[in-house]
Amino acid sequence: MENFAFAPAYELPVWPFTPPPELNSTAVVRHPVVIVGAGPSGLTLACDLAQRGVRAVLLDEDDTVGVRGASSRGICYAQKSLEIFERLGIYERIAAKGVTWSFGRTFSGDEEVYNFNLQATSVSTQPPFINLQQFYIEWFLVDRILELGVTDLRWKSRVTHVEPLADGVRIDVETPAGSYTIEADHLIDATGANSPIRTQLGVASHASRSTDRWCISDVRFEKPLPTERWTWVDAPFNEGRGVWQHLMADGVWRIDYQMPEDCDPAEISRPEVAGARLREQLGPDVAFEFVWIGPYGYRDHLLERFRHGRVCFIGDAAHVVSPFGARGGNTGIQDAANLGWKLALVAQGQAGDALLDSYDAERRPAAQENLTVTSRSARFLAPRSPAEHTLRRAVVALAKRHTFARALVNTGRMSVANDYPVAPLLPEGARTVQNLPLHWADGRQTTLMQLLAEGTQCLGLWFAPTRAQAQAACDATAALPLRLLAVGGDSGLPTLQADETLARHLGIDPSVGGFVLVRPDAYRAALLAQATPDTIAAAVRTALALPASSP
Amino acid sequence: MITEPRIPDPDGFYAALLAAHEGRTEAQSADLNARLVLLLANQCADQAVLLACIDAAAEAEEDTSTTTTPIP
Repeated sequence: MENFAFAPAYELPVWPFTPPPELNSTAVVRHPVVIVGAGPSGLTLACDLAQRGVRAVLLDEDDTVGVRGASSRGICYAQKSLEIFERLGIYERIAAKGVTWSFGRTFSGDEEVYNFNLQATSVSTQPPFINLQQFYIEWFLVDRILELGVTDLRWKSRVTHVEPLADGVRIDVETPAGSYTIEADHLIDATGANSPIRTQLGVASHASRSTDRWCISDVRFEKPLPTERWTWVDAPFNEGRGVWQHLMADGVWRIDYQMPEDCDPAEISRPEVAGARLREQLGPDVAFEFVWIGPYGYRDHLLERFRHGRVCFIGDAAHVVSPFGARGGNTGIQDAANLGWKLALVAQGQAGDALLDSYDAERRPAAQENLTVTSRSARFLAPRSPAEHTLRRAVVALAKRHTFARALVNTGRMSVANDYPVAPLLPEGARTVQNLPLHWADGRQTTLMQLLAEGTQCLGLWFAPTRAQAQAACDATAALPLRLLAVGGDSGLPTLQADETLARHLGIDPSVGGFVLVRPDAYRAALLAQATPDTIAAAVRTALALPASSP
Repeated sequence: MITEPRIPDPDGFYAALLAAHEGRTEAQSADLNARLVLLLANQCADQAVLLACIDAAAEAEEDTSTTTTPIP
């Protein structure tokens, strides 16, 4: 029998536990924001707040990144997440380390039956996707948080109890040096799928578990393959079951094999058994070494509400979906970016408390949509009855001959920046604005994310206003967190060059003009065809849950 | 969903459908029907009509199962 080697273990960074001042004090200190859990969503939120100058305490029971060593968990980071990371200042590191891709192919047997090119609809500075082991994302976020120096990062700090108060939350924390109690105006639970806080508070997660079984082999080998997302509905080298093949950083491939439902997880993940599968796929002459082998089944859950008074749930603590389409980690990162600016503005008294309710009103439908989409993929990949097998056979057979059936082949629909429904703060609903490259009137380059990276304010992009309009609008919105910019024209405002791509992407008819309100999370909150100083001020007040007249 | 007759030669269509199933096992016939459904669905190309057709097909089966009298 062939012997299979494991690569040396990754050396992940470790950060020291520093005893916090509360340990030796009887006074209970109140913090504006306490985040529990230093995974992708908790770290993104802490970094987002730090970038805005908002001090948060981040508690994590571990002192490193990653889970179970090199187990990389999430690997695909979607454009919206990458744009967030650009705003937070870690995108360059991610792009340098990760694998950029936009093309996916799906096979049945040896035949290609579906493909997509996500670059075709992108106008962003960031690519549709970058693959990178999750622990690198967490690592870069921690480095950036430490660099910003605003966040109180507390490692080896386990939350043992939370107690909701009328105006905050009391939190008991256990550390290697003893226990202490703090209070928070707002507690953010980012402790992941098995959130102990959720359990302790008795918040139902409505979990369901799939019987579909998979086994990940993260493996390094010398065989030139395209850096595309390849999936097989029924791979000849995996007994006609599904296979995923995707490249990550450091030349490590994520190969994910669908297993029989009744398989023994210990047996299928033995290096000899996993190695035999790889040998079948790669052929006899390709040398490879394992980085990680892990069997798994997936589950899903979705909380009824993401905000419970002064406690908000983000990331896996709030929602878990099957892995098809990378809608787990990306959704958590985007939860954090949705909540960060809202917490900042509310904490600074520049927005109403109802703005925090909009976190639930926007992100819960997003999670619901992701649950629907991923459940459909999961069902295509693991038919539940003879009839479902028959229909899938029909789809695959037709897809080999006819393009229409290719649209039905579903090995995952990749994560998107979900649209937000019409709501009190979003009379038109909202959709993402990509990180467009832009030019100032004098030719200097900028991007939407650069414009949003300074402070916490909405952007008002106004196509060719007059000087009088611009001056009146500045007066009408002086007390509001709004940065007014002109697009073209001669208004006296800071002015971006008129750009057809920008206009089209924002939904503006360049021949008519108009005004677009972009929130700090780069979502379009309002489009005013006939903007006036009063309607602009009203749109900002609506978006920020401020009363109609000046407070 | 249109339920008025629209097939120009109903008997000819039905005969062709039967001919396509001739000599096939039950499983092969099920495969053929599934492919046919998908091809026809793409001709229709109207989501509301497709969903109405799925409902109508499911209802017709329920009617059959409740009205069938067992043969003694």
